[in-house]
Amino acid sequence: MNQAIDYTAILPELILAGTIVLVLVVDAFLAPARKWMAMPLAFAGVVASLIATLTLIGDDRSTFGGAFVVDEFALLFKVFFLSVALLVLMVSFRYFREGRFYQGEFYFLVLTSFLGCVLMPSSRDLLMLFISLELVSAPGFVIAAFRKSDPRSNEAGIKFFLFGVLSTAVMLYGMSLIYGLTGSLNLTEIGRVLATPLPPGRETMALASILFIVAGFAFKVSAVPFQFWAPDTYEGAPVPVAAFLATASKAAGFAGLLQLMFVAFPAQYEFWTPIFAVLSILTMTIGNFVALQQRQVVRLLAYSSIAQAGYMLLPFALVSANPVINQDAFAAAVTYILIYAVMTLGAFAVVIAMAKESRGLLITDFAGLSRRAPVIAVAMTLFMVSLAGIPPLAGFWAKFLVFQVAIQRGGIGTALAIIMVLNSVVSLSYYLAVPRQMLFVDGEHEGPLASPALVTAVAVLASVAVVAVGVWPELLAHFPPLSTLVGQ
Amino acid sequence: MVAAESAESIVEAIQDPSWFLRYSWLIAFLPAVAAAFTFFVGKRTPGKGSVYGISALAAALVMSLGVLWTFVGGERGFYEASIPWFQIGQLHMEVGVYVDGLTAVMLVVVTSISLCVHIYSLGYMKGDVRYTWFYVVISLFTSAMLVVVLANNLFQLLVGWEVMGVCSYLLIGHWWEDPVNSGSAIKAFITTRVGDVPFMFGIFVLVFITGFTTSNIPKISEIVSSGGASVALVSAAALLLFGGSIGKSAQFPLHVWLPDAMAGPTPVSALIHAATMVAAGVYLVGRLFIVFLDADPIVLQIVAIVAGITMLGAALMAFTQDDIKRVLAYSTISQLAYMIAGMSMGPAGRTGAFFHLFTHAFFKALLFLGSGAVIHAVHSNNMSEMGGLRRRLPITFWTFLIGSLALSGVPPLAGFWSKDELLVVAEHEGHPVLFVVLLVTALLTAFYMTRAVLMTFYGEYRGHGEPHEAPRSMTGVLVALASVTVVAGFVGSPQLGAVFGDWVYFRELEEALFVPWVAVLSTLAALGGILIGYGLYRDYQARDPLRSLGGAYTLVANKFYIDDFYWKGIVRPIRDDVSSGVYWNDRHVIDGVVNGTAAFTKVLARGVNWFDEHVIDGAVNGLANIAGFTGGLLRYIQSGNVQRYAVFLFTGIVVLAVIFTKI
Amino acid sequence: MSWENSAITIATLLPLAGALVIALVPRQYDKGVRALGIVFTGAALAFAIAITFTFDYGASGLQFQLDTRWIPAIQARYHVGIDGISLPLYVLTFVLSFLCAIYTWRVVPNPGKTKAFLALMLLLETGMAGTFIAFDLILFFVFWELVLVPMYFLIGIWGSANREYAAIKFFLYTLLGSVFMLLGFLAMFFNSDIGGGVHTFDIVQLQQYAASGGFSHAFQLIVFAAVGLGFAVKVPMWPFHTWLPDAHTEAPTIGSVLLAGVMLKMGTYGFIRIALPILPYGAQKYAPWIGLLAAIAIVYAALACLAQKDLKRLIAFSSVGHMGFVMLGIATLTSIGINAAIFGMVAHGLITGMLFFCVGSLYDRYHTREIAEIGGGVMQKLPYLGGVFAFVAIASLGLPGLAGFWGEVMALLSSYSPAESLSAPLFRAFMIAGGIGTILTAGYFLWMLQRVNMGTTPEKWKTAVFADVAAIEWVSWVPLLLGIVALGLFPALLTDVTQEPVNALLGLFG
Repeated sequence: MNQAIDYTAILPELILAGTIVLVLVVDAFLAPARKWMAMPLAFAGVVASLIATLTLIGDDRSTFGGAFVVDEFALLFKVFFLSVALLVLMVSFRYFREGRFYQGEFYFLVLTSFLGCVLMPSSRDLLMLFISLELVSAPGFVIAAFRKSDPRSNEAGIKFFLFGVLSTAVMLYGMSLIYGLTGSLNLTEIGRVLATPLPPGRETMALASILFIVAGFAFKVSAVPFQFWAPDTYEGAPVPVAAFLATASKAAGFAGLLQLMFVAFPAQYEFWTPIFAVLSILTMTIGNFVALQQRQVVRLLAYSSIAQAGYMLLPFALVSANPVINQDAFAAAVTYILIYAVMTLGAFAVVIAMAKESRGLLITDFAGLSRRAPVIAVAMTLFMVSLAGIPPLAGFWAKFLVFQVAIQRGGIGTALAIIMVLNSVVSLSYYLAVPRQMLFVDGEHEGPLASPALVTAVAVLASVAVVAVGVWPELLAHFPPLSTLVGQ
Repeated sequence: MVAAESAESIVEAIQDPSWFLRYSWLIAFLPAVAAAFTFFVGKRTPGKGSVYGISALAAALVMSLGVLWTFVGGERGFYEASIPWFQIGQLHMEVGVYVDGLTAVMLVVVTSISLCVHIYSLGYMKGDVRYTWFYVVISLFTSAMLVVVLANNLFQLLVGWEVMGVCSYLLIGHWWEDPVNSGSAIKAFITTRVGDVPFMFGIFVLVFITGFTTSNIPKISEIVSSGGASVALVSAAALLLFGGSIGKSAQFPLHVWLPDAMAGPTPVSALIHAATMVAAGVYLVGRLFIVFLDADPIVLQIVAIVAGITMLGAALMAFTQDDIKRVLAYSTISQLAYMIAGMSMGPAGRTGAFFHLFTHAFFKALLFLGSGAVIHAVHSNNMSEMGGLRRRLPITFWTFLIGSLALSGVPPLAGFWSKDELLVVAEHEGHPVLFVVLLVTALLTAFYMTRAVLMTFYGEYRGHGEPHEAPRSMTGVLVALASVTVVAGFVGSPQLGAVFGDWVYFRELEEALFVPWVAVLSTLAALGGILIGYGLYRDYQARDPLRSLGGAYTLVANKFYIDDFYWKGIVRPIRDDVSSGVYWNDRHVIDGVVNGTAAFTKVLARGVNWFDEHVIDGAVNGLANIAGFTGGLLRYIQSGNVQRYAVFLFTGIVVLAVIFTKI
Repeated sequence: MSWENSAITIATLLPLAGALVIALVPRQYDKGVRALGIVFTGAALAFAIAITFTFDYGASGLQFQLDTRWIPAIQARYHVGIDGISLPLYVLTFVLSFLCAIYTWRVVPNPGKTKAFLALMLLLETGMAGTFIAFDLILFFVFWELVLVPMYFLIGIWGSANREYAAIKFFLYTLLGSVFMLLGFLAMFFNSDIGGGVHTFDIVQLQQYAASGGFSHAFQLIVFAAVGLGFAVKVPMWPFHTWLPDAHTEAPTIGSVLLAGVMLKMGTYGFIRIALPILPYGAQKYAPWIGLLAAIAIVYAALACLAQKDLKRLIAFSSVGHMGFVMLGIATLTSIGINAAIFGMVAHGLITGMLFFCVGSLYDRYHTREIAEIGGGVMQKLPYLGGVFAFVAIASLGLPGLAGFWGEVMALLSSYSPAESLSAPLFRAFMIAGGIGTILTAGYFLWMLQRVNMGTTPEKWKTAVFADVAAIEWVSWVPLLLGIVALGLFPALLTDVTQEPVNALLGLFG
């Protein structure tokens, strides 16, 4: 099977790669005062790549012998990742220009990570998956430690790196085992083989290797008990990087996990759904309860993102023999990831807006913001309330879809749903902590908050999206591709 | 229009109702309109609005007389008309009037007394802080009372009933600057409410036997008399209804509010707490008499017992009062018990009871207004600060005397005839015990009234200042009432054919009897009471001779400690202790659970946080520290700690593997 | 879009539009903002009134229906409509909101922020109004939850001393209830079948499905508990009531007015509209317990009122008691009971709303709500305000001829003989408890009047210069006072509207 490469299919990735090289080169020739120009360049590249992606909508392509596939699922995530990339670039601009950072390198690295993200949903074989996952992570390790002056940032980077590597190792081990068992790297093929009855010994090995792979991804999506790196890393890293890690990187992890679980390992659902049930419960509960204790906004958002990961893991636990439920579960997970990313990105944008005047980024630093920056305050309130899942905001529908599948699944599903609603009630009390400061308390700062235009723009964009999806969920509800991967 | 059709009934719908009957609803409507006018424009009209009430009541009185006239003219039927009010479920509510002889008599009583009080108040309330408001409320009250009298259905009656209660509350507390008055007002309202709740439930029972379709009184009477309901239900209804009467008519054990109600302006006491509202309880029993008759006999016995206890007890308590109004208040309670007792003796007794209600209304109003004139003159309620007013207030004295004699039952005054009739019935229908009680009460009544008259009008003046006779508006009313008191009795005197019995009767007319020896006996009782009283109080100075009775006196003087029991044993514990207990429970138990949950969550969070920081993260950092983590990536990898990390991670995964793959 | 199918949507969304407009007005035009508030609530009210005039009172079915696609993906539709059960509460919402907007013309509580205040109030109005017209469970839930955030901020920003605790307590408690309600809704959805295994969120279709005996008994018992919890917290039924006194005590005046006037009714409305008809078996099984809790609430709340030292808290507890009567009426599952319940809701909306206005105005003058602090003599100091206060208090203790009476008496009457499936002796016991409750109610209200209104003005207030009821206050109060009298004298105004739909609803019980 040796056919020509379908360049149209990989055009977005090519453009992005080109941009990355360009940024790197150009940066080398830019005077320090001009380094910021790397950003517009990167921006333009991403936009181009995004356009290229949009032109692909509707096609169904596949190349590299089926290792790289362009279908609606892939496109949906590509568009999503590229849009997030744009937003991340926007919020990074001032931050890195005014802070003492290597700007050019940052843009080069962050784009590389995004290249990994964009590859992820197209990767339909273990190798591709592994490569794109590493592409996402490796630059992440570096930019997480970007605040060289700050030891916490270094420790964060090291920690992140070490465990990233180790978990990758574990995952790789699992993948190799699977290859050994099935003699194939292609997910669909693996799925087919695993669906056939295996001899007991191999069965066990298969399960073990699935477990290893899950563990690897659990680390990426910071699921308990593999979450410990997240808060320190988020706190230590530059805020825009934290934003990236909390949204794109996490989403990439889920994109990979979705494909593996729903395409490669559905046959073993009886084995791994309980694992996900436990992971989900632990993750949402511990995430929420620890979040209750946070005084620092980034850590708050870090634990919030852990808790939310728990909600996103819940649909995996609902997989059953019933394809209808599986499709809905899949759709629920995807929708949740997308909506979550928007809300969280918006919240981080607000934090970035605050970052300049408040080093510590304590929740109390938000006091009285409603007077000083009404727009930002309203936006932040929307994000927080939406993350808590109060209608009519996007966050509610994300949760709603999960509840819906859970109730539909019945049994374990109902139990999980009840645990989840209780968790979301608990979460409300810490999500409200920030609006509380902004609206109820008067801060010592006076005069309007100096928020970079681009950052404010991102916050506004995100909040508009949150409200729009909230009142008209149809915007998200009919992504045809959500289930294309499942049950085919 | 439905008649209470039943075998022996002669009561039938009037064929061609007179104008007065057809517009009888106006009688209740006019005072309401007057009240509204007084409320909205009273202050801005000359005379501060009293004109509306007086003219409305005058008109109402004329119409009431017109209504009565049709029955005096030999009419024996009834007139009923109603318009639908609203429907809820199957229950059709209506607003309507039911007019028979009884209604007519009550209308006349209420409108005439109310008119008198309206006029009397011109003088008595002159210059009062809330003069106009006073007129608003008494007009509203009159309207409510007339609604009760005219009502053809129970819910309408209940509405009037409760509005009366509120008006009474407002008037007792008229001078609310003094907490004593507002306290009495609350006491009155709550005590009657205690009776009203059973009353309401009684209505429910009666509505229930109609299948929740109507509360129309004739219909209900029809169902009951035609045995459409079990005796148990009817008895329950009767007892519950009687609860209402006990409350409103201040019968034992709910009598405690009436004496305190004297805190209100005296005209109010005359109108509401002597002549009309308190009589509503009696009227209720009479109006729904069929329910009591068809109930288990035990019910009427209970009624009789309550009445007996009340009339004696109240009469005794009247002995020890120094406040002239309180004397009259207890006398009222005792006389109302007289009427209730009459009710308990069956149809004949019912007629007698209403006759007594009729006469009592006039002479008791007279007495109250008289006492008002006295109080107006000496600025005190206490008889110990009066005395010798005979010459200073001649008109007041003579009229008051007439009233007292009438109340004492001295022939040929009104009181004599009605009391006599009740005694006759008791004797004739075979209620020996009740007969004795009635007779004794008659004697006691005569005694305490003599006491009151002597302490007030004889001897030396013991008060301050120079008392003067009241203005015309007041004395005129006294004279009018006095003259009525003289003649009113004859409408019921058997010698003159006892026409009253032709207006007010139950089902069939019955011959009013005259038993000479009973008449003699009652007269002797009256005279006896008067003589004893005269003997004791002829030369009253300062100390009440009854005090020499010692223990008995204190017992009575403390109202048999009933009020104390209610206050210390029920009201205060509930108001202060139980309530605060409940609230404590709310704050600490129920809300404690809520806050507890929140607190628990916080603690849990702290715990989980600790676990997260020290156990999970600690394991990592711990390993790191053991390895002497001091930064520097190279040293790090060389110093082979990665294995330790690997160990940590792999052990974790292996544990999971063991759990899930059950290797 | 005809008047028929657009009227209620427009009326409901007008306040929302108003909120957006107000958000855009520059902060300095303070009076202008207040005027806008009055204009938008007024316009919405005008629509509501127009609806009442074009409403067909003979019919029992839905009117002004609009049933159009909203979220096909989850088969949630934008299905709104209105019937005799919704109409009174729907109109009440607009009336109270309008009067609150007028009241706000005079005073915006600390710390000002007029824009936010009115915007949130309008948002709240949309949420409340929408709840009463939504006939799709998801739509219902969205409106239901829409009121939480604005009320949270109204309490949290403009409340008094302990506002933050009260606000978060209110939010968390009601949210806790409603999330279970949501799960219940989903369960209804997946267990429904309107032919061909198609599920539905449509309340009407669910009612029909339930009437056809679609839901199993076990299912009904579980789901009734779930949705019932949501409603019970909102009502609030004893013992889920403890958020209410705090919320009321801390909330600004109009917050309390709308909370007591409308929001509590959302709970009782939910029982009537959703829990009873869709889960009739569950309703019959739980009715005795609901009745019991209601009876407890009546007596318990009255006793608690006697212990109150803070006027607002006292009235808050009295609300618990009055809602007890409403729930008792509902629990009887009889036509009289449910009609009485609706009557009670509206009456309580008018009366208690008015009571909170009075207390608010007292507070504006005395700057305290402590009964002991005020120390009596209000009738001397502020005759008109005192008079109104006394009138409303007496209306609230159930004086016949005023609105408060019929709801209570009819609820008690209905509990004398509840539906066949229920135990009459049990409900008669509840009736007696209710009767005792009415005595206690009279007790605490009269005692309150004695301590606040009557007596002589204490020295410390003698010199204080208080303006009696201001013109703007009269404007916002007179409609309520008239309503209280009108409903008392002409109950048909309400019963004629509710009668038919209630019978239709009970028809579903078969």
